[in-house]
Amino acid sequence: MPLLGDFCLLFALALSLYSFVVGIIGVVRKDRVGYMLAETARRAGIASFVAVTGAALALVWAALNNDFSVAYILHHSNRALPTPYKLAALWSGQEGSLLFWAWLLSGYGFVLRLRHKVDQRLVATTSMILAGVQIFFLILVTFVARPFGMMDSVAADGKGLNPLLQYAEMVIHPPMLYLGYVGFSVPFAFALAALIMKYPGEKWIHITRRWTMVTWLFLTCGIFLGAHWAYAVLGWGGYWGWDPVENASLLPWLTGTAFLHSVMMQEKRGMMKVWNVWLIFTTFMLSIFGTLLTRSGIVQSVHAFAQSGIGQWFAGDFGWIATPWHFSIPYVYPGFLEIIFAVCLWFYLKNRSHLQSENKLESLVSRESSFLFNNLVLLAACFAVLCGTLFPILSDWVRGYKITVGAPFFNKVMIPIGLFLVFLTGVGPLLAWRNTSIGSLRKNFAIPAGLALIMAIALPFVGVSPKADMAHFYSWLTFVVSTLVIATIASEFIRGGRVLQGKLQTNIFGAMYHLTRRNMRRYGGYVVHFGVVLVVVGVAGQAFNLEKEQEMGLGDKLAVGHYVLIGQEYSQDDNANYESESALLDVYKDGKYLTRLDPETRIFKVSRQPNHIVANYSTLREDLYVIYEGNNPDTGHPIIKAFVNPLVAWVWIGVVVIIFGTGLALVPNAQQMRSPVQVAVPVPSLETKGMTTAGAGE
Amino acid sequence: MKRASQIVLLALSIGLLMGSDSQAVRYEKLGSKIMCTCSCGQMLLKCNHVGCPNSSKMIAQLHDQLGNGRSGDAGNAGNAKSDEDVLNFFRTEWGVTAVVEPSQHGFELLAWILPFVGLIAGTILLMIVVAKWKRRPAQVNPADAVLDPHMDALRARARRETEI
Repeated sequence: MPLLGDFCLLFALALSLYSFVVGIIGVVRKDRVGYMLAETARRAGIASFVAVTGAALALVWAALNNDFSVAYILHHSNRALPTPYKLAALWSGQEGSLLFWAWLLSGYGFVLRLRHKVDQRLVATTSMILAGVQIFFLILVTFVARPFGMMDSVAADGKGLNPLLQYAEMVIHPPMLYLGYVGFSVPFAFALAALIMKYPGEKWIHITRRWTMVTWLFLTCGIFLGAHWAYAVLGWGGYWGWDPVENASLLPWLTGTAFLHSVMMQEKRGMMKVWNVWLIFTTFMLSIFGTLLTRSGIVQSVHAFAQSGIGQWFAGDFGWIATPWHFSIPYVYPGFLEIIFAVCLWFYLKNRSHLQSENKLESLVSRESSFLFNNLVLLAACFAVLCGTLFPILSDWVRGYKITVGAPFFNKVMIPIGLFLVFLTGVGPLLAWRNTSIGSLRKNFAIPAGLALIMAIALPFVGVSPKADMAHFYSWLTFVVSTLVIATIASEFIRGGRVLQGKLQTNIFGAMYHLTRRNMRRYGGYVVHFGVVLVVVGVAGQAFNLEKEQEMGLGDKLAVGHYVLIGQEYSQDDNANYESESALLDVYKDGKYLTRLDPETRIFKVSRQPNHIVANYSTLREDLYVIYEGNNPDTGHPIIKAFVNPLVAWVWIGVVVIIFGTGLALVPNAQQMRSPVQVAVPVPSLETKGMTTAGAGE
Repeated sequence: MKRASQIVLLALSIGLLMGSDSQAVRYEKLGSKIMCTCSCGQMLLKCNHVGCPNSSKMIAQLHDQLGNGRSGDAGNAGNAKSDEDVLNFFRTEWGVTAVVEPSQHGFELLAWILPFVGLIAGTILLMIVVAKWKRRPAQVNPADAVLDPHMDALRARARRETEI
């Protein structure tokens, strides 16, 4: 089976090379032969998916059958490992995850090539670019980081999977992230293809809109699954630590989010073409950069399980070669990132005349300018995260040591930027395309601003005072801004609903339903904004976190916030995979019995690494988060640590709302409904000029 | 409008500047900027590594440093330690990687400046682009030329009747 896997990879590489080289010839030659060649390149691309699937299945088969002759399986699995985690072994290490990446990329390419009839020439060029990206990853897994590398002798058992990865969400978190990272290859390839071909119009954007949104959704899910995993497994009471690899996933998410917004400017007004092309190029490059950060070990991270020395394949290298003649020769060679950047820059410089804006900005108080500011702030956030993530490397170059840039830095820099972004989320939708009068702005803002003001005054009475410290001030400001945004979103639905209500003779909820069905993208987007606000509200709760750690014997009490925990029972267990110690704790709130929690610590036999299984009692108001830290070596008593984390549940609820909203935005609009007032306006003029109509504007 | 924005800015500035830290708050704040050096990868006050060889000693040192200091103002007394002094103590004692926040002087100041330089540069760039856009005449779509001016009346009517 390992041999079959190796063969499949080689075969896939040959097919991808064919798809790339012959694809170029097919695209360059515009005659019938060129068309035939492009068709064979397309079929080779489809066949490469089958070959990479064969290789991935061979690795999974090896994991399921405990084939420890394969080095990768030896290092990432063992006999006692439960079957789902054996499947997860495919992406739990360097070589496997690169194979997984190549498989997803070929899968995306497979779908794209099957749907070539949307525009055969554009898809042929896009397919050729995707084949080029795939060649890079297939070279890596075939020659550099081989998943089917063999051991000299076969061990009786494997070294097991990293205990931190033995958690249900870890089975789906990496695939989601990879689906996001890899998925950005498709809009990137379309954008580059459109630029190479000087493709007229915005069709490539219409084609890639759903690709980009689905990809963005996968990345969002991946990021939040990782956050939830950190919350449930790492046992430090938080869900986002600004770890470099977390940051690496945030970077393309930020630029991808900016792209999803600014692309509407191009669709509606034919503006920001250069910007959009570079935004999607940057997003793709940041996805690759994220892989570089995860794999290369250039920054310290909790994701150290996936590190190795393949960074130079991504980022290139430079240095000096010593010679016997008392001097050194400099050398430099580009990595994948530099090659991608050079290709993008070359075609941009060559064909930039194709990207001229069709319209001018008419007013600073307009939807267009809100998109500009939205993009500016998202890019500033991306730059700030990038600076903080890479500063240790810069300090290593300049000062000779790597300083640590952690959560306090990112919180200080990112919270103001994030709050401004949330504020724009509320303001943007209230602005009309082209121009917004101050009167209309005042009218639209009066109620949301009034509600935000009431919230600002009321919050100190419920204990959220801006005077306590910076954390409380930011928290207070977050609640105020969130109120403003929620009110603007609600007012958008209500105002649109009222317009339709009279025309459709239905109640306001029915009208809002029809309004949404008429423009799923716009109102789905508002639901996504609402989800983002819920996440932000959940994050703001951190300012009020409480925690307490205590040694607890039987019957001992631990009080934290409104809660009292009483130790009832302590036990030990042993199975083939791990030994465990756990506690049974009765929880009382304000003197009333609430529930029983059972935090646990597992020591995995193969690695001897501990892993906390957190006991969490979650309500909409707060989480009671309890971990069993182990035993005091002197007294033998268990040490229990309890946190009260307010509003955390809203983070996860917000994510569900974001997923729902994105799903809505992906659904096609319902047919325009008949209404008593019919205006005989030619459809093309309404669409192309982006007029603001009930449920039809963006 | 201008006055309202000035009031908002003033209120924000006051808000950003207010808040004096008590010793307990300083302990929490500084403890969340120092990393446990036992390789557990946790912040000092979050370190849940049983039998950690370093965290107890580091926490004791933090208490000690705060006990010697009286306020965040280093200039008031000779032995008072500012937050930066305390963090510098840990940088010296446990290495620069023990503090997860870059120092606010020297080379490390660059880490604080760069994001805002990026934001300001981006804003200036945006202003230039916007100014350029506003000066540029719009490319007239031939289809529009045919539709105007008759279409304007219809558009105005459609906008009026469907305005939200």
